[in-house]
Amino acid sequence: MRDEPRPHDDVAALIPMLRRVIGARVDDAATADDLVQETLVRVLAAAARVEPGMLEPYAIVTARNVVASLWREQDRHRRNRHRVVDLDLPDSPDQDLLASEERTAVAEALARLTDRERATLLAHEVSGQDTRSLAAEQGSTAGAVAAQLNRTRARLRVEYLLVRENVEPPTERCRPVLLALSGGDRRRQREVDAGRHLLECDVCAQLSQPLMERAQPRDDEVRIPISTDADIVAARQAARELAARLGFARTELTIIATAVSEVTRNIVRFAGTGEVVVELVDRPRRGVQVTARDTGPGIPDVEKALADGYSTYNGLGLGLPGARRLMDEFAVVSEMGRGTTVTMTKWCGER
Amino acid sequence: MTGPKLVSILRQGSWLIASIHTALDDTQMLMFQHDLIDQIGRYRSRGVVIDVAALDVLDSFGARTLRTIAEMARLRGAETVIVGIQPDVAFAMVSLGMDTGTVPTALDLEEGLEYLGRPGGARSARHGRAAG
Repeated sequence: MRDEPRPHDDVAALIPMLRRVIGARVDDAATADDLVQETLVRVLAAAARVEPGMLEPYAIVTARNVVASLWREQDRHRRNRHRVVDLDLPDSPDQDLLASEERTAVAEALARLTDRERATLLAHEVSGQDTRSLAAEQGSTAGAVAAQLNRTRARLRVEYLLVRENVEPPTERCRPVLLALSGGDRRRQREVDAGRHLLECDVCAQLSQPLMERAQPRDDEVRIPISTDADIVAARQAARELAARLGFARTELTIIATAVSEVTRNIVRFAGTGEVVVELVDRPRRGVQVTARDTGPGIPDVEKALADGYSTYNGLGLGLPGARRLMDEFAVVSEMGRGTTVTMTKWCGER
Repeated sequence: MTGPKLVSILRQGSWLIASIHTALDDTQMLMFQHDLIDQIGRYRSRGVVIDVAALDVLDSFGARTLRTIAEMARLRGAETVIVGIQPDVAFAMVSLGMDTGTVPTALDLEEGLEYLGRPGGARSARHGRAAG
């Protein structure tokens, strides 16, 4: 007949041995203690099933298993530790202030819209009303409402920027230009001559940065700011690279590059700074269009400048007339004191 | 100047072989002109070959600079020949209404050296002087 506490006594007798076994494998005393406890619990639970005399080996194996589980556990933690890292930076102290300024700016910009614009925009963006039901209310079409929404958003962006930067547009041309840029409407941008205005107006040049960044990056257009000799090379190489995509022959690419080189040099020589925009066009035909504009002194007599041999810097006098011969389309617009814009195009394929 | 060399000017006997390795902007072109004229004097060169095969374009400024170099070299007693004008560059030059003036040209370096070595060319001029 067995007395009840016997297995417990046996198990209790194992404790020093378990301490040794686990202590040899685990450095941290507290952890080792935990593992000893855990081993004891398991041995106790199994004691009734274990053959007498086999309790000690059983306990040793259990202890090793418990240690092995701990190592596995630690290993898993180590492997997954990067997943629990909180990458969000803590809120910076000025965040509230910035957020409230942001809200004020948006509210102010919204207030500058007309009532109808605001009502439609809010109905669509906030209440989630779709363009079709808005069109029904206004007696218009869904397409017209969508276009109107786009214009409103463009205006909202411009007004928001003006409020945030706390500036009033210095000229009456500023707002139309900014609107055209914000809306990404290229035809409108040409109509208001946005490129020239940005060269002339520092305020708009600065304000337009976020608007331009927002616009879908166009891969059929390159814009090269011009101020030094090196920019001449950059401009002609950019033009060559872009034009190469249309499948121009090597000869024509060199011709385009040479023409760009000539007109860009005029910017550096006479105006100091300006920009060259190279874009691919597909109307009326596929081709490459180069616009070189500056805000320099302007050309006093365009006709004379286009005549061969007219040179003011001891060149060959081939700059403008040469470029005109090289390209298919060529136009110079110059205004004294305001600057010069040269637009030239080379068509691709049949001439 | 940093980066790879834009131009190299090698001395070969009484000749200089100047190679342009990449597209040059106007300032670099003028620097090249200055260096080359400087070396013509230093090495008492009688002939100069300018290899422009690597130039992407020869626009009015580039062409004018080459003509200036050739004229300055002539005044310093050296004959210049321009080699390696690529077919597309040549076409653009003609379309632009531009040429290298009276500066002789040759297809490539080999032809250029042959030109300088011709009877009455730079080498024979030196020999003539040495003999006389």
